[in-house]
Amino acid sequence: MRQTEGRVPVFSHEVVPDHLRTKPDPEVEEQEKQLTTDAARIGADVAQKQIQSLNKMCSNLLEKISKEERESESGGLRPNKQTFNPADTNALVAAVAFGKGLSNWRPSGSSGPGQPGQPGTGTILAGASGLQQVQMAGAPSQQQPMLSGVQMAQASQPGKMPSGIKTNIKSASMHPYQR
Amino acid sequence: MEAPPVTMMPVTGGTVNMMEYLLQGSVLDHSLESLIHRLRGLCDNMEPETFLDHEMVFLLKGQQASPFVLRARRSMDRAGAPWHLRYLGQPEMGDKNRHALVRNCVDIATSENLTDFLMEMGFRMDHEFVAKGHLFRKGIMKIMVYKIFRILVPGNTDSTEALSLSYLVELSVVAPGGQDMVSDDMRNFAEQLKPLVHLEKIDPKRLM
Repeated sequence: MRQTEGRVPVFSHEVVPDHLRTKPDPEVEEQEKQLTTDAARIGADVAQKQIQSLNKMCSNLLEKISKEERESESGGLRPNKQTFNPADTNALVAAVAFGKGLSNWRPSGSSGPGQPGQPGTGTILAGASGLQQVQMAGAPSQQQPMLSGVQMAQASQPGKMPSGIKTNIKSASMHPYQR
Repeated sequence: MEAPPVTMMPVTGGTVNMMEYLLQGSVLDHSLESLIHRLRGLCDNMEPETFLDHEMVFLLKGQQASPFVLRARRSMDRAGAPWHLRYLGQPEMGDKNRHALVRNCVDIATSENLTDFLMEMGFRMDHEFVAKGHLFRKGIMKIMVYKIFRILVPGNTDSTEALSLSYLVELSVVAPGGQDMVSDDMRNFAEQLKPLVHLEKIDPKRLM
């Protein structure tokens, strides 16, 4: 009792077969004997062929599984992984720092995303008439029908950015200076 | 409206130069919830605070090349809160190893006639936006997660449009200058928000 730390209360005839067994169970022994006789029966060549086909099938399966896992993992993780967009970060920081994309933005839907970058390249000509004309460096000609009036609230606006140009189609005719 | 350190005494000189230490990043809309949960766990235990602010940036063009910039902010959802006037200096370009953007900062609470006063002084409004989001605090660190809305009709804060599909995340501390420990603490906190958000020192001049 002491030696087994209290796990074996009595060393009796019931305990012996379980604890002192070295051979496998009789049923298992029987099955093993049968298997060995079968293996001996089919001959060495056939056995080799069987081994090879088994190996090939296993490797095929493994490859298929790993490919599947890889594809599903990357497909599943990639959309989840994108929790932030660095381009958005830059856009937001620029907006807060100096108003890029805020009031200087022209909400013209069809002109595309290239536009917000353009005001930065324009220059302000302080016209004697008080109107602020903006020279668009390389403005494509298709934009002109859409661009029109100068934002009146910012008529006196200083700053390095040219004043916002609102796509107010109605006032297109009001500014003949607008090229 | 955020509660910045407010100078009640007139600035006569000899005041402590407060610096703002800043780290910025962004998070896409669909990941906002997970970020908020994480922040609620990391930050001081308080009621989740949301804010809706309208900020106007005023420029004073002098003879010098670079105009003087002042930022006026008012709370749209807290009636009676004072307006907040802020001056932010140029970022200190000293230490490359410093983890946060450091710039001189002066914060003042004002009454509601701030815009009239500034216009009389010769300032002109350069741009404005609406910021709507959440505010968290951890010790002296302030974390703001907010969405920037473009104002379509100047002066009309109802017609707004989101600037992008992301929320801007800012981690800021206002403290006296020269305290490098502050930026280390900020960097450690920023590590805890990865990989959801990458808070980093973004130099605005690079984005011009």
